Amino acid sequence: MKIGIIGAGFMGSTHAAGWANTDAEIVGFVAKPGEAAAHQLAEQHNAQVYSDLEALLPLVDVIDICTPTHLHYAMALKAAESCKYIFCEKPLTRTLEESQELIAVCKKAGIKLSVGHVVRFFPEYKQAKALVDSGQIGQLAVVRLARETFCPKKAEDNWFVDLDKSGGVILDLMVHDFDYARWLAGDVESVFAKNILSSSPDAHIDHALVILTHKNGVLSHIEGSWAFPPPMFRTRFEISGSGGMIDHDSQATSPINILMQKQVDGKTPDIPTPTSPVSEDPWTTQIKAFYKALIEDSPLPVPAEEGLAALQIALAAIESARTNKAVNLETLPELSS
Amino acid sequence: MRIGILSFAHLHAEAYIGNLRATPGVEMIGIADENQDRGQHFADQFESNLYPNYEALLADQPDGVVICSENAHHRPLVEMAADAGVHILSEKPLATSLEDAQAMTDTCARAGVKLMTAYPMRFSTPMVEIKALIERGELGRIYTCSTSNQGALPRHHREWFVEKELAGGGAIMDHTVHLADLLRWFLDSEVVEVYAQTNHIFHADSVDVETGGLLMLTFENGIFASIDCSWSRPKNWPTWGGLEMKLVAENGVVGVDAFRQNLVVYGQQSAHPTWAYWGSDANQAMIEEFVDAIRENRQPIVTGFDGYKSLEVALAAYQSAESGQPVKLPLQ
Repeated sequence: MKIGIIGAGFMGSTHAAGWANTDAEIVGFVAKPGEAAAHQLAEQHNAQVYSDLEALLPLVDVIDICTPTHLHYAMALKAAESCKYIFCEKPLTRTLEESQELIAVCKKAGIKLSVGHVVRFFPEYKQAKALVDSGQIGQLAVVRLARETFCPKKAEDNWFVDLDKSGGVILDLMVHDFDYARWLAGDVESVFAKNILSSSPDAHIDHALVILTHKNGVLSHIEGSWAFPPPMFRTRFEISGSGGMIDHDSQATSPINILMQKQVDGKTPDIPTPTSPVSEDPWTTQIKAFYKALIEDSPLPVPAEEGLAALQIALAAIESARTNKAVNLETLPELSS
Repeated sequence: MRIGILSFAHLHAEAYIGNLRATPGVEMIGIADENQDRGQHFADQFESNLYPNYEALLADQPDGVVICSENAHHRPLVEMAADAGVHILSEKPLATSLEDAQAMTDTCARAGVKLMTAYPMRFSTPMVEIKALIERGELGRIYTCSTSNQGALPRHHREWFVEKELAGGGAIMDHTVHLADLLRWFLDSEVVEVYAQTNHIFHADSVDVETGGLLMLTFENGIFASIDCSWSRPKNWPTWGGLEMKLVAENGVVGVDAFRQNLVVYGQQSAHPTWAYWGSDANQAMIEEFVDAIRENRQPIVTGFDGYKSLEVALAAYQSAESGQPVKLPLQ
């Protein structure tokens, strides 16, 4: 199976490392011509750099989209013209309509479309879900999920801070936990959210608090933050049920704590990443699970519809924060089947 | 200074009696309880004088009383004490309706007695430290707070804690007011809007009140804050529960855990580890403030008005949970 990756930034290289752990072949990366990092990455994987998706498309079976969020839709649509499989970073697209159309197009063309809700592959999150499903804490009641970090930096054109492109902290960061909350507790009935936006004139951080009411009555408190100083990346959850609770704090479980007098290179990272060492990087686990479903022709581990549902929650949270009203979610036809 | 305790319905009376005895210059004159058996039980346990009824205790001319009746029964005792010209420290929540809370503050104002609401978190050393940090301006502007006051089902303390008639509700009534009060104090602003959702999944078979709840408060100055008031701590949690706050501000993020100062004990008493608190006793500082306020003839730093405003938040939360949309304050 031949793979093409769009984007050679942080996510592109992370996915490439995942594919390198399968027997699939990375054929090429789509990147700006002359982009040094892209050539380095391509060389590392014995692949080529293509300045144009059209040139790479006929050569591959799978297109893996690792570009800024607002570009997902057009690229996936283009990829759907000829490839068989598409893997798209989260969030699936920037708008609900884009995701719906993309899902319809792929369905019609028989293309398998999956979305990178990688949190489902983090061992601590996966295990918590398994414990909940096993009945270990009885009936789920209140879920608290938090993701605390700093705003990703970019040397130029930081699309993360552009709400039209990334959707801000609610869509870019918290969509992970919306997906996880829904995976744990099921469909969401209503969303209420408040946020601080760095784009507003009187603030310079992003932070949001969201309350989800699931259809089965479970309540989720979801907190997402770009208000912490680098290199902080902390995830926490507290999952409570009628028979007990599961507690996690990435800081408390970090097996290594390094407190240096001086940073070796005097720099802090641009993109926040979790640091607990595990034998297999969760992004690799994710790619392997996707690849396995392709070669075995079995159901995708995270089909695009799941990404659509998480996107719907995130967009409702953005709307609630804007209107100061609780937003009730419509049942989308893609999710009812 | 002579102080008595009216009712042992609330378990905090068991702590306050020791706090009163430990306060210099205070004579703990005794206790009274309309439940004779309960009064006798605690009088024996604490080797205290037991008055035959509330009237008898008040007739003995104390300077102040601590009222620890059921939430819904604070008002008649506050009115009796105010009529007798005795200063009052009332357990929280101040009442279970705004009508009662208003009548209590009015009565005390008219009678010229001090009414203090028992909010020990105002005296918690970590919380006092945070208040000072805010006042020194070190955080810069505060944008938002994420807070929780979770606990185990309080039923094993007292049955009435889970009865709506006496407690005024469930987890919201029990665990919203401390944080509403702390937030009002930290942010120096009043709540203008409350959104809340509740559920009844924890202990669904054994109690009728809500056991899970999430709130979002918005303050007059635009700051928003969430509160988790759920009785979500399982029975094998190492302690009764806890109270935590996170403040997201211009200059950084500050977390505070009021009950973090613990030893982890792997003992013979319990199959699971337990936490032994070694931090300072906030109840003691609260009782001393009540005594000082009487002694210095000034308002205590937490008043009946503070009790009223935080109760209003809890009551608004019930309205919001009912309607599914945010509710504006002040409530009519």
